[in-house]
Amino acid sequence: MDKNLMPIVSIPEIATIVDIRDEIEDVRSFYFTLDRPEIEQAFQIRSGQFIMCTVFRAGEFAVSLPFSPENDRKHISVRKVGKVTAALHQLEPGDKIGIRGPFGNGFPFEEIKGSNIIYVAGGIGLIPLRSSIIHVLQHRQDFGRVILVYGAKSSKELMYKDSIKEWQATENFETHFTIDRPEPGWSGEVGFVNHLAAKLDLPVSDTVAFVCGPPVMFNAVIKELKLKGIKEQDIYSTLERHMKCGIGKCQHCAIGRTLVCVDGPVYTYKQIRTLGEQI
Amino acid sequence: MYWLKKEQLELLVKKLAEEYKIFGPRHDRVSDEVIFDHLTDLSELDLQAAIPYNPPKFILFPHFEEILKYRYEPETKEVRIEQINLLEPKALIGLRSCDLTGLLCLDRFFLGQEYVDEFYLAHRKKLFIISNTCIRPFPQCFCVCTDSGPAAKDGFDLDLTFTGRDYLVEAGSKKGQVLIDELGLAEAGPEASALKKKIIDNSVSSFDSFALENKAWISRATNRLTTGFIKPEVWEYIGNQCFECGACSFVCPTCSCFNIEDANLESSETDRLRTWDSCSFEGYTKMAGDNNPRKPVEDRRNKRFFCKLSYSQSKKYLRPGCVGCGRCARVCPGDIGLPNVVTYIRREITGESGE
Repeated sequence: MDKNLMPIVSIPEIATIVDIRDEIEDVRSFYFTLDRPEIEQAFQIRSGQFIMCTVFRAGEFAVSLPFSPENDRKHISVRKVGKVTAALHQLEPGDKIGIRGPFGNGFPFEEIKGSNIIYVAGGIGLIPLRSSIIHVLQHRQDFGRVILVYGAKSSKELMYKDSIKEWQATENFETHFTIDRPEPGWSGEVGFVNHLAAKLDLPVSDTVAFVCGPPVMFNAVIKELKLKGIKEQDIYSTLERHMKCGIGKCQHCAIGRTLVCVDGPVYTYKQIRTLGEQI
Repeated sequence: MYWLKKEQLELLVKKLAEEYKIFGPRHDRVSDEVIFDHLTDLSELDLQAAIPYNPPKFILFPHFEEILKYRYEPETKEVRIEQINLLEPKALIGLRSCDLTGLLCLDRFFLGQEYVDEFYLAHRKKLFIISNTCIRPFPQCFCVCTDSGPAAKDGFDLDLTFTGRDYLVEAGSKKGQVLIDELGLAEAGPEASALKKKIIDNSVSSFDSFALENKAWISRATNRLTTGFIKPEVWEYIGNQCFECGACSFVCPTCSCFNIEDANLESSETDRLRTWDSCSFEGYTKMAGDNNPRKPVEDRRNKRFFCKLSYSQSKKYLRPGCVGCGRCARVCPGDIGLPNVVTYIRREITGESGE
C-alpha cells in the first residue's frame, strides 16, 4: 500500500469543522480540516471510500465521502437520522470531530478508462457518487459519454444543486432529472428514476453504470439497465451497512461472505447478486 | 520432553506469577461450574477439572472493555484523546486444545487480515500459554471431528499431558524452554513420545461412544454451507428454535463480533467501550433510520453457522471456525447447538426424517 494512503485505523484524528452548508432538508455538509498538519497533508482518499466520524460525546458512525481525491474540499454530507447524526447537526464551525479512515475499496477508475459512464442516483444516493463524478469530469478526455440520471421525491430533495450547475458547464456532460410528482415551476421529467432511465437513449457497449439510492430504487434501476443490455459486472453500486470498526473486525457489515468495510462498499451487481442477502 | 512432578506444578505456577497475571480453570463452588478465570488464589488452579464453561477469549477480547477515553470541552472546543494501556503480561495455564485452537483462530482473524486490531494485539503481546491434553473427552466434546484435539499441536509455550501421576512437558517456544531449564525439569526418556501417543490415542478412541452419529458429517455440512445448497426451510427450522439470546456466541471460542459505543456522554470524560455482540440479535444489522437488511431470525442464524463452517470463513482462520468444544450445544435453550445443526443439514442431504 502507498504510504500516503495509510488510513487512520484505531485512534481518531481530531479535525475542525471549518464550514457548514445546508444541502436539503435534514442534510448538511460539514467541511473539515485535520488538526495535525502532517495528517492533513497525508490524508488521501479514493472515490467511493468512507470514513468513521466521531461526534464527541455522542458516538461514531460510518459515512461515505462525497469529495474528489483531487482539488476538492474535504467534507461529508450527512442526513439527520439517528442520535449521533443529530448530535453532528448541532455542531458549529470551529467544533471538533474525530476521523478514522479512509476505509473500503472505492470505485474503479483506471479500469474503466475509455468507457461510457452512466451515473444513476436517487435522493441522497448522489452523495457517494459525487466524488466519482468530479474525478471523472476532471479527467474528461479519458472517457466516452458521461451521463447523470438523477431523481428525487421533489425538486427540494435534489442534492448538490451548485455542484451540478458546475458539472453542466463541463463539455459533454449529459444530465437528466426527474421528481416523483409534478410541481409548479418544474419543467423536467416526472416519475421514478428507473422509468426515466428506461426512456433515455443510453449507451450499452463499453459502458459502466454507477447506481446508488434506496433499495427499492436500486433494484428497479438495475432491472432497466439489464434490459438495455448492460452487463451485471459493469454495474457498480456502493452499499450501506451498520458498521462499528471499519477495519473488518466487528463483522456487523457482513453480507454473504464479504464485509462491506473491506471488500466493499463498492460492489458490482454481479457480486451483489451472488451474496445471497437482500440489499 | 520433560517430566513435571505434581509437586513441581505449584513451583511452575509460582514462578510464572512473578511475571504474569495467572489465568486458569478453577471449580466455582457457588455455581458448581468450572470457570476459566483470573486466579487470585493460585491454589485454586485445577488441571483435572472438566472443560471450563467459558472459553478463554475474554482475556484477549474482554466482554466489556474501554478502548479509549476522551475529554471534550464544548465551551473551549478542546479535545484530548487518551489511549488505554492494555499491555499486561498474562499466563494462561491449562488451556484445552479446543480453546487453544480457538485462540489461534482469533489471532489469525484479529492480526492477520487487512488490518491489525491494535487492542487485541496489546493483549496478545505478552502471553504465556500452557496447554493441557484432554486424556478423556467430556460428553459435549467433538474436537476430533474439527481437527482441534484432544491434544494441542502448536501455539503453546508449554504443553502438559497428565500420565496418571506426573505431567509430560513439551516446550513449544523459546520462553517455554527457558522456564523448563529454570525449573530444572528432568528430561524424559525415549519412551515418553510413545507414552504420550498412547494417552492421546486412548482419548481419541473414547470419542467413539458419543461422537459418531452427527459429528462426522461436519465436512459435508461445510460443503453445503459453502456452496449455499441448503434449503430455506432448513434455515427456517433452525431459526424457529432460536431464542435470540446470544449465548452460543458468548461461549464460542471463536465468535468475536463486537459493538462499539461511547459511554458517559454527559461527563467531561467519555469512554469508548467495546463490548461483545451477537449476530443473533435483531439490532445487530439495524442501521440508522431503522432500516434492517437482515430482519428474519433465520437470516441471522445461518450467518452464525456460515461463520463456523463455511470455506470462505475458514480461509480467515486457516481452519474451520468451529473447534468442537460443544459449549453452544450445552447452553442453547433451543436445540441448535452446532452438532444439531449439522444433523439438520445431514437430514436434508440424506432425506431421512426427523426422528
